[in-house]
Amino acid sequence: MHDTEDLEGTSRRSFLLSTGGLFTTAWLGTQWAAITAAAHHAEDMAAADLAAAPTWKGFQFLSESESKDVDAIAGQIVPSGRTPGAREAHAVYFIDRAMSTFFAAWSAEFRAGLAEFQAKFHALHPDVSSFAAAGSETQIAFLKSVDRTPFFETARLLTVLGMFSSPKYGGNTAGIGWKMMGFEDRHAFTPPFGHYDANYLGFVPYPEKPA
Amino acid sequence: MTARRFKPNETVDFVVVGSGAAGGVIARELSQAGLTVLVFEQGPRLSPADFEHDELKYWFLSGITSGPISSPQTFRKSPSDTATLPRGPNPLMYARLVGGSSNHYTANFWRFHEIDFHERSVYGSISGTAFADWPISYRELEPYYTKVEWEVGVSGLAYASPFDPPRSKPYPMPPMPVKSSGVLMEAGARKLGLHPFPAPLAIASQPFRGRPACVHCGFCMGFGCEARAKSSTLFSVIPEAEATGRCEVRATSYVFRVETDSAGRTTGVHYFDADKRQHFQKARAVVLSANGAETARLLLNSTSNRFPHGLANSSGMVGKHLMFNQGAGVHAVFEHEINDYKSVQVTRILHDFYDADPKRGFYGGGGIDARINPQPGLWAMAAGGDLPTWGSEFKARLEAFPRSTMSTGHCTSLPLGTNSVSLDPSVKDAWGIPAIRVTYKDHPDDLATSKFLQDRSYEIMEAAGAQKVWRDQVEENSGGAHLLGTCRMGDDPKTSVVDKYHRTHDVANLFLCDGSSFVTSGRGQPTMTIQALAFRAGDYIGQFAKRNEI
Repeated sequence: MHDTEDLEGTSRRSFLLSTGGLFTTAWLGTQWAAITAAAHHAEDMAAADLAAAPTWKGFQFLSESESKDVDAIAGQIVPSGRTPGAREAHAVYFIDRAMSTFFAAWSAEFRAGLAEFQAKFHALHPDVSSFAAAGSETQIAFLKSVDRTPFFETARLLTVLGMFSSPKYGGNTAGIGWKMMGFEDRHAFTPPFGHYDANYLGFVPYPEKPA
Repeated sequence: MTARRFKPNETVDFVVVGSGAAGGVIARELSQAGLTVLVFEQGPRLSPADFEHDELKYWFLSGITSGPISSPQTFRKSPSDTATLPRGPNPLMYARLVGGSSNHYTANFWRFHEIDFHERSVYGSISGTAFADWPISYRELEPYYTKVEWEVGVSGLAYASPFDPPRSKPYPMPPMPVKSSGVLMEAGARKLGLHPFPAPLAIASQPFRGRPACVHCGFCMGFGCEARAKSSTLFSVIPEAEATGRCEVRATSYVFRVETDSAGRTTGVHYFDADKRQHFQKARAVVLSANGAETARLLLNSTSNRFPHGLANSSGMVGKHLMFNQGAGVHAVFEHEINDYKSVQVTRILHDFYDADPKRGFYGGGGIDARINPQPGLWAMAAGGDLPTWGSEFKARLEAFPRSTMSTGHCTSLPLGTNSVSLDPSVKDAWGIPAIRVTYKDHPDDLATSKFLQDRSYEIMEAAGAQKVWRDQVEENSGGAHLLGTCRMGDDPKTSVVDKYHRTHDVANLFLCDGSSFVTSGRGQPTMTIQALAFRAGDYIGQFAKRNEI
């Protein structure tokens, strides 16, 4: 298989916008072997107990306190509830793998951004031991004050990728993100594809004739 | 007959640089005309089994595209700025493998309309732009559009749109089955008095020339087709070229310089093999179909005493007038399941706003389609405008994925002398060759057209009964996948790079054919026209070769 390449920078708003736009000009890169090796490691960890919360062990990049805060941030970006969120998808494992392998170029900036995030939270809430330890309402209120920062946008990008990339990369455990979203990863479908095309009566020609 | 393998010192009739939408077609036309053809492709040759459903790899890890480590590109908005390396993706996106970007395109195959070829005459000049007529007409290109449809493979419903240009034959295959997004868009648009119609796609709706019909997996945009139903040149014309016994496709071979002799004629190309060893390939003539970015870059990197500003660049136009096509859309959620991630990306489009209308107060026009960013990560990544991006509202948007679709406008970009592909003065690629520098800023009329079409998309989704509609952000392009206009075609050697037969004005045996030949941008779906031009170019270049006029 041919090589892929490594990402050369951190997420920025323009990047996020471009990935959602028409051209989705996004592509980042790494050494493919490094990705797959790391991904298998993460998959093994995540597969150990699908339903359980992270054990906070075996992370390659994040410290325990970092991983708890990152998990809490991811858990607010895609909250748990009636359907699984980022925590159940183990997005934090994906983020740890990403930072130590294919998105390693972002890692220093991500860590610095996280430290700044933690310091700011602590200054506002000196009585709460960490962002992860705060109540949900406190977390949401704080995130609203920082959700335009490059760090948050990187965290959002990574959380989304951790929820919806192939489970082989360590997140989206057992395809839980795809299930939440109602996406089936199959190689073939047959019509009708949805409610509205099931009863389509056929294309009715226009009275106007083309040139 | 098996594919030809040329010997190291063999002189071929034609070297074709690039195996994508244009290069594949030209290789087939020339080899079927009895000429020997060696096609160089920088990327590898992959098989359908290599194409995976892996969003991270294909969209974020340069799975099959030109990536920023080996092939960096710099970007700036204005010629007075210093270009910098973007911290994420490369600005210009193209696939790098046999078949080129025809592997990962969405396969929307709109013909240009008659107006596209003579807009300057109809609307007059536009201040500060290089807005011009093409040196060819729709009528001249029509037989080649038909050839694309019948020989590459396009599905569609002829005469369905009252705005369709004249055609000599219907499509060879019926349109793809309509999806719920198409049904909704059609219903909303018809309510507004508009004329939606089945989208023409370069995807087989039934078995076609030895390829199977689409299996509706949904991974078209950005991915290679695992079913061979998408009419990529990898599956359509390249095998036919090889079957002549006169064509070799040399993969993982990177052409970095076109050589010329003292008489100013090209003698062949220098290239790196997969191990970065340099070689020279002799040829009687050279065709560059490396895409609107790499064709210009290769010319600019092929300087000599005779061509100090780049090969075929006496006009100074090589690399200039880069056009991306503007466009923006709306997201919509409906009551029932749409499941727009299944099957091809687009099944209904409309061309009611295709032509420019001076009454709007700006130049521009385009088409509108019903589509989605079909993969879950891509869908979730969308941000900007008034889309929720985190928290419970975001989660609700994610959970509504099966009931969601988009309507998107695709429109004109004006040709500006300041928008260009040039060589970066300091950044080089992994082979030590000067990298691409992109300079781009949308003309205000392009943004106004984009907004105008977005407003129409919004109305269509509302008329279709959407429960909620969100707008994408209309913004300046910071990159693009449609790489157009950088070696424009024209009759005047002072203002254009190639003539109407794609021969460079400066070098008699050097031809250029790909998106770089475009004079104006069309309305957002360029590959159909790139391939029609390639069939036409192949036809004429083959005749020139037979008449010893090369």
